[in-house]
Amino acid sequence: MKAAINKNQFLRQIRRRPFTLLGPLALLVLIYYFFFSSPKSQSKYSYKVKKAGFFDRKSDVIPRNLPGDHISHYDLNKLASTPMAVYNKEKVLILTPVSRFYDEYWMNLLRLTYPRELLELGFIVPRTKDGDLALKKLEKAIKQVQTGKKENRFSKITILRQDTESLASQDEKHRHALKVQKDRRSNMALARNSLLFSALGPYTSWVLWLDSDIVETSPTLIQDLVSHDKPIISANCYQRFYDEEQKKDSIRPYDYNNWVESEEGLKIASNMAEDDIIVEGYPEIATYRALMAHFYDANGDPNTEMELDGVGGAAVLVKADVHRDGAMFPPFPFYHLIETEGFAKMAKRLGYQVFGLPNYLVYHYNE
Amino acid sequence: MTTKTYHPQQSFNYQTSRSSSQSILGLIKNKYSISIIGFLIFIIVSLKFLLNFIFPQFYIPEFANGLNVGFYDLKNYEGLPDGWQHEERILFCVPLRDAAPHLPMFFSHMRNLTYPHHLIDLAFLVSDSSDDTMGVLEKHLKEIQNDKNHNLRFGEIEIFEKDFGQSIGQGFSDRHGFEAQGPRRKLMARARNWLWSVSIKPYHSWVYWRDADVETVPATIIEDLMHHDKDVIVPNVWRPLPDWLGNQQPYDLNSWQESEGGLQLAKTLGEDAVIVEGYAEYATWRPHLAYLRDPYGDPEVEMELDGIGGVSILARAKVFKAGSHFPAFSFEKHAETEAFGKLCKRMGFSVYGLPHYVIWHIYEPSSDDLKHMEWMAQEEARQAEESKIKTFYDKIWNEGFEDVSKDWENDRINIFKNTDTSKFKSSKDVDWSGVDNFQHKFQLQKDQDKFLAAFDPSL
Repeated sequence: MKAAINKNQFLRQIRRRPFTLLGPLALLVLIYYFFFSSPKSQSKYSYKVKKAGFFDRKSDVIPRNLPGDHISHYDLNKLASTPMAVYNKEKVLILTPVSRFYDEYWMNLLRLTYPRELLELGFIVPRTKDGDLALKKLEKAIKQVQTGKKENRFSKITILRQDTESLASQDEKHRHALKVQKDRRSNMALARNSLLFSALGPYTSWVLWLDSDIVETSPTLIQDLVSHDKPIISANCYQRFYDEEQKKDSIRPYDYNNWVESEEGLKIASNMAEDDIIVEGYPEIATYRALMAHFYDANGDPNTEMELDGVGGAAVLVKADVHRDGAMFPPFPFYHLIETEGFAKMAKRLGYQVFGLPNYLVYHYNE
Repeated sequence: MTTKTYHPQQSFNYQTSRSSSQSILGLIKNKYSISIIGFLIFIIVSLKFLLNFIFPQFYIPEFANGLNVGFYDLKNYEGLPDGWQHEERILFCVPLRDAAPHLPMFFSHMRNLTYPHHLIDLAFLVSDSSDDTMGVLEKHLKEIQNDKNHNLRFGEIEIFEKDFGQSIGQGFSDRHGFEAQGPRRKLMARARNWLWSVSIKPYHSWVYWRDADVETVPATIIEDLMHHDKDVIVPNVWRPLPDWLGNQQPYDLNSWQESEGGLQLAKTLGEDAVIVEGYAEYATWRPHLAYLRDPYGDPEVEMELDGIGGVSILARAKVFKAGSHFPAFSFEKHAETEAFGKLCKRMGFSVYGLPHYVIWHIYEPSSDDLKHMEWMAQEEARQAEESKIKTFYDKIWNEGFEDVSKDWENDRINIFKNTDTSKFKSSKDVDWSGVDNFQHKFQLQKDQDKFLAAFDPSL
């Protein structure tokens, strides 16, 4: 027997140095792991939650008061926007991009007579120090109302901080320079869209766009605009000022973005580069459009309607369906139009008509 | 006794406290470590300061619960490529129309989804359905939301009902016929817009669109698309086919890259025209995502797109919040999902497709296919009938021409043995020689009476 073992070279080697076995064994184990270890044992992605680090700050709490099985049901066929909005208990969402908080705006908002339990508010503040300031004032004002009497509280308020960086300068002079108009209004359009689609709910019937610098309207603003039963309807935006020449208080047109398209305007547009925009109120671009601001007649019927092609955002009431169909505020030149004017164009492309009330005034803050 | 045991304990306590204070003192005495600790504190403080300077910290208001006021910093919901690890919420949108038969399959996929279910908010739009889509949907949802396994339960679920009115049927050929495309796609675009615009919340970071009639899809689909870190991304969509049609086929031809031909074609069309891909009427020569598939290709490969299909879209929620939507009008000569791709591009978002990462749509036969299948069924029945007749015919025929030679071999002996007269035959030959002899004749004549009477045949 021993002779047989001695004759076998490999066995003799193992008997002499058993550790030489380790090498081939290790190789076998490696091969096993490479080819036979099941890939299912390790999942493709890691699902370990990464907690916010020392430098991160996420403080927004997601409110959830969900039904038991988390399922809620909405029949949008029953959702309507009618001229009898108050009677039918239709919900109105008031949306305001706030770069500056005016007390007069807030006081005017509180004066509106539309039932508060049917009113929702939405605000968006820019990502600037100015935005911080406006936000602090807004917070204070909101807390005062929402902690007050139950019947005076708004049904829901959404406040957003814009994600895109805002343009630094918001001075009156800079704001209206033609060159910065496009960027400013593009950013404004993004703010409006973020606000609109974050706040629009499945029960909203009407959306009222009310600029933060609109400081005086009729208390029945919503009821007045709703009664016209139009997909989009815009009030005429004026400004109160002290007339130095006549030595008395007076009013002057402020918002020129409510207009009817002209031959000249179309001609200018057709000759423009794709990314250029037409803006009203600049002598460089003479469109000869019929501006609603110039149609104001102090003695005229405030219910007079006129069909428009472009709207401003000062005080516009929109049926929520128009927005749900996809009418938004283009942050890019859409038919050479941007923001609210682009919105009117997009709504028209979707088959909706746009109207204005030349004799129904709302007043802009005088800086 | 007690005092004796008490003393050593006291001395022990004293000793340990002395040694620890010594080591702390030693550390403090060491000037090096002081400066290192000080330096570290300085670094951390200055870093924090620097970070706040670069990324200014904005004011966050605080509202008590019950005031119905919500504040959201949209910057916190911009969508990270590993969102599931940052507890980012995703809105899962499913438009449904007469989808009851597909729902069991759809929910089997939903159960398998690996994205944490509590982070998924579901939104369904049931529109213009003549079958019991709503009932089946609710049944499945209740089942999954009351499952013992809490990990299966989803976040918020919203079901919306809205009928848009349909002039066009929902059969495959009704839906996919060329003339029907423009108005049909505008209507579907409206439905999609209604769905996302009422369901998206400020705290959603991602939106995932999925059709109910997808047959095969990886459970990791959301993560697979999300980790590419794109604003809008779609997989390749194919469908299986019966053998006689070649086993498989690209399904979604709406994912494409714009081409010169496409742009030129767009210029020739009216303002409200809608170009639809995959129809001979509009030859755009665009590179389609579907046709670029290599079954053995790397599934991570990305391809930039201009138009996309709607079977399975993952998009950052900020894309929708910024205003991009499914145009229900002709936008750059497209509508719905294709125009969504174009609109996203126009707004500066990245739009990509994965040519080698494939999900499988169910196979629905077209009316030509149905005709062919009906013909095939008839043909099959005819062939079965024919083969039945043929077996009967062959049986009769074969019976008519049965080879009986073997039987005959056996029978002939029995038959012929009765008629065989050979054994009676004389074995002797008759000798006819001399018959013609007159002499013999004469002899016969001569002995006529005697011989004829005694004639014996056996002789």
